[in-house]
Amino acid sequence: MALATIRCDDPIPAKAGIGLRFPHHEAVLEGPPDVAFMEVHTENYMGGGTPLRCLEAVRRNYPVSLHGVGLSLGSAEGLDQAHLDRIRQVAERIEPALMSEHIAWSVSNGTYLADLLPLPMTEEALDVVCRHVDQMQSTLRRKILVENPSTYMQFRHSTIPEWEFMTAVAARTGCDILCDINNIFVSAKNHGWDASAYVAALPREVIGEIHLAGHSVRELAGGGSLRIDDHGSCVADGVWSLYAEALRRFGPIPTLIEWDNNIPPVEVLVAQARHADALIGKEIELRHAVAA
Amino acid sequence: MPSLLEVQSAMRAQLLDEANPVAAALLAEALTRADRLSIYRNTSRIALTNTLRLNYPAVQRLVGEDFFAAAADIFITKEPPRMAWLDFYGAAFPEFLEGFKPAASLLYLPDVARLERAVSRALHAADAKALAPAELAELPQIAQGSVSFVPHPSVGLLSSKYPVDAIWRAVLAGDDAALAAIDLDSDGVWLLVERTVGTVEVTRLNERCWRFAEALFAGWPLPDALEHADSDEAPAWLAAHIAAGRVVGFASSKVRKS
Repeated sequence: MALATIRCDDPIPAKAGIGLRFPHHEAVLEGPPDVAFMEVHTENYMGGGTPLRCLEAVRRNYPVSLHGVGLSLGSAEGLDQAHLDRIRQVAERIEPALMSEHIAWSVSNGTYLADLLPLPMTEEALDVVCRHVDQMQSTLRRKILVENPSTYMQFRHSTIPEWEFMTAVAARTGCDILCDINNIFVSAKNHGWDASAYVAALPREVIGEIHLAGHSVRELAGGGSLRIDDHGSCVADGVWSLYAEALRRFGPIPTLIEWDNNIPPVEVLVAQARHADALIGKEIELRHAVAA
Repeated sequence: MPSLLEVQSAMRAQLLDEANPVAAALLAEALTRADRLSIYRNTSRIALTNTLRLNYPAVQRLVGEDFFAAAADIFITKEPPRMAWLDFYGAAFPEFLEGFKPAASLLYLPDVARLERAVSRALHAADAKALAPAELAELPQIAQGSVSFVPHPSVGLLSSKYPVDAIWRAVLAGDDAALAAIDLDSDGVWLLVERTVGTVEVTRLNERCWRFAEALFAGWPLPDALEHADSDEAPAWLAAHIAAGRVVGFASSKVRKS
């Protein structure tokens, strides 16, 4: 692959990229894999030293997406402005092609709870999230993407279906949606939703990125099972099928392979990215055939 | 219908083992499956325990994985992170270990943890440009006054009555022979920790050199640091610090006339 320096205003092409984690730094710098882009967790590059230097080196070869996991857009008590400033500083240094966060919360009373916790789907939560997306976009002076969550329980007082909540955030703030297909699959199985209907309900014009990852199935003591979004295995067959449905609806979209637990060699991620590229290729062919 | 703030406060209490009857009742009412909060608690605990493992690898090897996980669980409940940037999470872990009775027999453990805290700080400290030779040209004139120096953010100093640097190296290298050969009754150590290109270095200093560095990097005016060091070698030590890139700036608020 030709490693031309990427300009900061180059958009990410509608191809597959991989989530870059620390165990891959060396391999990726020694033999840059043929993938369209790399995505990292913003919070892992807020200090100086080796990690940041590695990311800067990666950035010279690939468009980079900064994916935040700790801003807590759904916190009732407001955003941690210091954290938002740290995100801005990483962005100024890396000049990412995309920046994203989650529809979730993780900070309460000044304590970071280190997980993406579920929000009640209420008008109050929608107002809070929209206010914080506005704040994030005005601080960063750019459009961001927000990712749909994976959840294991629901709030009885929720009044808005999750897909409508996502759509409303995008409509009110002008942000885009990072559509996590595995999360839709996991939540749909856990709550008895129709995953295809979820995908079909999302507005195609604001889908800026897709996430794919592995999940596990936990058998419950009282019978039944629960899908756990642990990013610790290959993408499941059912998720690939749902991804193909999403491509049908949204068209070719930049797609990320995420892997955060039991992280395998980078080749395994690249093979998963190849598979996503093949499905994107099929969709493009199909569209050409229809157009012809 | 509970407010968002009420829901989040109750869930925080549940995740941090501070749940009270009011919070528990609210969650039981609000959630379809309040028992599944344990899944979120587990994910959170695993993430934070792994952060502590990364920051305190030698401590973990000294006490074993299970003991470490149990200590970490208590620590996380007592001192959860105050921000989502976790590179420095667990800064209070050495002091926690000092008061942690099950680990009391490992006298040197808190100091090994302090060394690992300094190593972790050095690894993740912000980048900063070392004081350049051109800037140093001004030094001779103002050095007579109360010039003070700003250390590189990665520089740390610590002392221990145990040879914690030797313990740390032997433990991380898995060198049981070296570990067994360490004499805990030997003299104390005076250590400088810093990030150099691509790695973190831990260097033993002599006590006077260390005391000078301690005063210098705490921002004392140079004459006071020199007096504190009480050694003819101190100007050479200062030159070595600057040459090694351990100084990133200087200030001279009240320059005395020479």
